[in-house]
Amino acid sequence: MDGFLKYFWSTMDPMSNIGFSRAIPDLMWSALPSWWLLVVLPFVLGVLPAIVVWVVYIFRRSWISPSLPAIPPQAAPMVSVVIAGRNESETIGRCIRGALLCGYPNLEVVFVDDNSQDDSVAIARRAALAVTGSARDSDRVRIFPSPRRNGKPSSLNIGIRMARGQFIAIVDADTILQYGSVQHWLMPFNDPAVGAVAANIRVNNSTATLLTRFEEIEYALKTTNKIVQAHYNLLFIISGMGGIFRAEILRRLGGFDTGLGDDRDLTMMIRKQRWKLAFSLGAVVWTTCPETYSHLWKQRARWRRNVVKICFSKHRDQFILGRYGFSNAVLTLSVLFARILVPLAIMAALLWALSDDGPLRSPEILTRLYWIVVFYIMIRMLIARDITGSPTPLNFWLAPLFPFYMLFVVGLSQMYAEITELFRIGAKHPYVPDHIWEEIPWW
Amino acid sequence: MTGLAGPGNASPHAKARMLALLQQAADRGGTIAAVPCPQSQFGYTYQTVSNDIENDLAYLTKRNYLEARFCDRVSLCPKCGTRHINVREVCPSCRSAYVTSEGLLHHFRCGYVGIPSEFLPLADGGYKCPKCSRTLRHPGTEFDRLGRAFVCRGCGVISENPPVEALCLSCGAKTPSENLVSTVLFNYVLTSRGAAAVRAGSLLDDAEEPSIEDAPILRRTVILEFLEYELKRLQQLNGRFSLILAQYASSASDAKSAENRPQWLTRIRGCLREVDLLGHLADELYIVMLPQMKAREAEALRRRIEATLGAQSPFTLSVVQITKRDDLAKALAGLGETSGF
Repeated sequence: MDGFLKYFWSTMDPMSNIGFSRAIPDLMWSALPSWWLLVVLPFVLGVLPAIVVWVVYIFRRSWISPSLPAIPPQAAPMVSVVIAGRNESETIGRCIRGALLCGYPNLEVVFVDDNSQDDSVAIARRAALAVTGSARDSDRVRIFPSPRRNGKPSSLNIGIRMARGQFIAIVDADTILQYGSVQHWLMPFNDPAVGAVAANIRVNNSTATLLTRFEEIEYALKTTNKIVQAHYNLLFIISGMGGIFRAEILRRLGGFDTGLGDDRDLTMMIRKQRWKLAFSLGAVVWTTCPETYSHLWKQRARWRRNVVKICFSKHRDQFILGRYGFSNAVLTLSVLFARILVPLAIMAALLWALSDDGPLRSPEILTRLYWIVVFYIMIRMLIARDITGSPTPLNFWLAPLFPFYMLFVVGLSQMYAEITELFRIGAKHPYVPDHIWEEIPWW
Repeated sequence: MTGLAGPGNASPHAKARMLALLQQAADRGGTIAAVPCPQSQFGYTYQTVSNDIENDLAYLTKRNYLEARFCDRVSLCPKCGTRHINVREVCPSCRSAYVTSEGLLHHFRCGYVGIPSEFLPLADGGYKCPKCSRTLRHPGTEFDRLGRAFVCRGCGVISENPPVEALCLSCGAKTPSENLVSTVLFNYVLTSRGAAAVRAGSLLDDAEEPSIEDAPILRRTVILEFLEYELKRLQQLNGRFSLILAQYASSASDAKSAENRPQWLTRIRGCLREVDLLGHLADELYIVMLPQMKAREAEALRRRIEATLGAQSPFTLSVVQITKRDDLAKALAGLGETSGF
């Protein structure tokens, strides 16, 4: 431990850093596996794309954040914002108000209450009354209180069936549409091949707890990745927190399937139909992130179980290369690479590096690697901050702790979810009620 | 309403008509009831000899000859005032009234939600799901109905709580239900005062009312009686009371100020105790009787009243302490009032 502390603080010594930087060229040409797996690979996968995006953002900003064309209100296509929620009385009012007042002239809100036990419906009607002047359904707001709990996918299907718009935006009940975001959200649809557009998810409660500060950093770092993925049509999820779809696609698909994580499953189905997926930086949707460890653990475990269930079970035919097009084949390989091979390789490299003969038995190398990771994170945070305005500078001091958040909070929950899903322990989806769970196929 | 110049001074003709109305109520068991009448403007009518009796009923109720009891609330067209309106749900999108109430069907297995007509009906009473093509035979286990929803047959929009609109069959105006004008109809029951008027064969005279209408002031005869009573009590118990004399400014007695006089008097009344009495002694002279109050306290009250009324007050206030009958006589004589004290 003394050795680690010594080298930990030695990074403050300029001479030590100069010496290390002089050693980089030698390392570049070395065949040291830990160097390539723990330093070069994360750089290529995480930092390099962010730098490329940043350079493009500086010299060709319109490629990433195009300016809005002037569209007369009469020509604005109708957008239906579909919200499904259960016991969301704390957030549904501001969610509906935010959608109605987001500055888009031709927009309706459809809220489907999944048999809430609280006063969500009353609050939703009050919010509608405040904006439209009528607590009844109007041409701008319709509210459907379901008499029985049906689960989120079915509730969203009710909303989709009720929606009238050419485009259907699906947002969570704890999100808020930023003013002007819908106009940005629709821009990628100028390309007729685009079937859905992901929103730029920002964290609403970023300073509530230490966890939400980390989550804000995490979301911000993902944003630059999404820009790259969308450019190469490699987006593999249109988040349920904020995604907009061509209504015809959702209607043709018959909406969501029950019993699964709604957003990822739908994304896979749309991709299989050869639609392109896009990302809009200007379509900002503010979400409320989990503030407690248990809540975050459950959320991430649920997400990861959905990844396993959807990507490797329900949609396993995507691994038949070529069946669903080139970009899907590349995406499949990237999923295999990023979700399986890279973690396995890093795990193997770490085990070898920590073995008796490995270099990480040396405190100096381990602490240097740690600082390199922190350096990567700092670079990505600065780039994300410059492009998206997130994370807030108040959270920059957390960069040295961020690797531990990813490892011990996110990583552990994901590992737990993967193991339990592979062995089908507690497989029932918490968002699906019993009477529906008994009917759905076992993915 | 005909024959009434104002609420406070009904003409003899109007009084005779209202007395006849009371007589009719007495003949019908003491009640004037609103009965349904589809041809009338409000859908109800009062079975009396004369028509257009609403103002008479209001007059008599205000003066406690009749007691109003709730009968019904009637919605009216805000444009033409008739109750001939057709109220129905309309589509929130296209405003068409061609909407039907249907329960959405929900297939558990694939999550599909749609109106029943989207599901292919089978000969055995089941359905075929348009999404997954499976058969739905067992409600509750394979599928269920999601409550009630209105489906517009014009544009297909589904709404659980559609807006309600009223179409006026007289003038054709379409009005959202929340904008309809509503009026309350009452049944009227004869009071003991009304019964007394019927027995006496005339309405009680306005002078018999203890207080002046629209202001919390006792009439001259009443306040004089109270003063006389207080003087007798003074003689018996050797106590005292005070008066505040309020002289209404002559310059302010134009028509507009006269209209505002009840408001000024109401403000004065608001400054007084419940046991204090405010009375109208002469045209422009009012008197406040303050039982058991010393002159010093009355003076403080006067200042408080003046502060409440403000600089624009048309009243000139003065305080008099009464310890014997002569004090009252002198004070009133000083104002040119002779009341026989």
